[in-house]
Amino acid sequence: MTKRHRDTILGYLFVSPAIIGLLLFVAYPMVTSLYHSFTQWNGLTPAKWVGLDNYKFLFTSDPTFWPSLKVTVLWVVISVPATLAAGLALAVVVNRTIKGVKVFRTIFYLPVVLPAVAVLTLWKYIYDPTYGLANQVLTFLHLPTSLWLGDAHVALPAILIVGVWSVGGTMMIFLAGLQAVPEEIQEAAKVDGANAFRRFTRITLPMIGPIMMLQLMLALNGAFQTFNQVAILTKGGPGHSTNLLMYKIYNDGFADFITSPQLGYATAEVWVLFVIVMLVTVVMLRLTRSRVYQGEGA
Amino acid sequence: MTAEALVLARPAALTQRVPFMVSRVAWYALCGLLAVSMLLPLVWMISIALKGNGDINQLPPTFLPREFRAANFVDGPAQIGFYRLLLNTVIVTVLSTIGAVASSMIVGYGISRIDFPGRRFWFALISGSIFVPGIVGLIPLQHLYISLGLIDTWVPLILPAFFGSPIFVFLARQYYQSIPKYLDESATIDGAGHWMIFTRIMIPLTKPVWITIAIMSFQFAWNDYLSPLVYLQDAKKFTLPLGMAAFLSDQAGSQYNYYMATNLLFVVPPLVLFFLAQRYFMEGLGALGTIAK
Repeated sequence: MTKRHRDTILGYLFVSPAIIGLLLFVAYPMVTSLYHSFTQWNGLTPAKWVGLDNYKFLFTSDPTFWPSLKVTVLWVVISVPATLAAGLALAVVVNRTIKGVKVFRTIFYLPVVLPAVAVLTLWKYIYDPTYGLANQVLTFLHLPTSLWLGDAHVALPAILIVGVWSVGGTMMIFLAGLQAVPEEIQEAAKVDGANAFRRFTRITLPMIGPIMMLQLMLALNGAFQTFNQVAILTKGGPGHSTNLLMYKIYNDGFADFITSPQLGYATAEVWVLFVIVMLVTVVMLRLTRSRVYQGEGA
Repeated sequence: MTAEALVLARPAALTQRVPFMVSRVAWYALCGLLAVSMLLPLVWMISIALKGNGDINQLPPTFLPREFRAANFVDGPAQIGFYRLLLNTVIVTVLSTIGAVASSMIVGYGISRIDFPGRRFWFALISGSIFVPGIVGLIPLQHLYISLGLIDTWVPLILPAFFGSPIFVFLARQYYQSIPKYLDESATIDGAGHWMIFTRIMIPLTKPVWITIAIMSFQFAWNDYLSPLVYLQDAKKFTLPLGMAAFLSDQAGSQYNYYMATNLLFVVPPLVLFFLAQRYFMEGLGALGTIAK
């Protein structure tokens, strides 16, 4: 056997776990769920083909779909820029060689190390209108208090605050990017008389462009699939003010499983969410790619 | 240096130093303020965990406990069944972390160090699948696990980790790229095969990245709420996130001090792990800084 043959066999052997994983956990679910989205299926008896009925009901008759989609879009549009900006700002702040910087990095990263459920249940208590810390702080500052998670106008921003509080992961990845920007280029620009703002927008931002793109993709993906926050903090309420699509799918497919399993219908919802995520991702990739390459002058 | 020169030199030195000092003070003030707002909720958690049973429903709530009740750390866990939940979570987390590290490092090696036809294609497919939302798999996989009799076991929580999570494979590959090729070439000349190169040369060299993957995978499994929620039914098999959330929705309110004390114990393992491995973690994430290439 030649070396080339041996390498091919070995290569596929090494990569085989991922190939099997792709088939088992990506390809198989995608194919079967696409099929099931055209069926009426309770998961127990065989699925019955109903064509486009699920999608038709979803778009025309389901009273919670459009409110849910609206909230989801609102959530994505607000939370993605907010968390990216907060993460980048924190990264810039701690990207210094100064005494104590590591302590601050650790403190800002701390909320991410803690288990999400522990953190979220803590915040649920913080938002308690009577006993919670949030209203205590507002009272202390002589500001009007709020019902927080009980107020349809405040519930979504309240969830966003928790997200921004735990933005340390985004900060770390941005920090890794900032530290890879060569010091000499900054120095040269300084000598040429570029001020800090100009250096940041003309040198730093383009150089961390690829990382920015990755972060944007991850943030978009995460925002569309926000689940824990809703499940633990609000259960979609009050009204439909936090009923994100991901949570609605869980409700239709799993939570109501014992009483009225609607797996076919939930699968159709999954596909609607999937198509939206993919469309947004592709559009974003196109937009950012042209920006990034121009920035690098390539 | 003459006296005259000193007088002339001083103002210049001062004007350079003053803005530097100001920016330094401003930086510490800013970081201090941010740190306080980050830590406040956690301090609040500790304060509730130490409060007496009468204290928690007192209005207005006080920041400091009036009666320190350390017994919450015994009574709380007993009420919630913490130690069983902990054992379940440790089993699930340790096994899936081993799986994630082993599979991602092996796949990462194959895709970046072995030259075989199709490797670019597979890498593109693996990194592309990072963006396929996990929800797509939830319903079909639940059905698959039901038909295999694996529902209400820990298999669905552990097994997927052994197939190289795309994001970890990506991270591993980025790191392997930074290791010079001549290392394998000289090892090959000395008669080493790929498995030998992987185990003897690469594992020690890639320590930062597999420790990073271990931490991230540990945190993910330790945290995961949705999968146990969907795949587990028997409360005896619950993991910590599920058990804690269930306790909260069942009886909250009057027992927040028990709850927060237990919550603090829940938080300790990932925290300790992070502090032990922090240095490698930073290095491993640094590999992402070179993503441009």
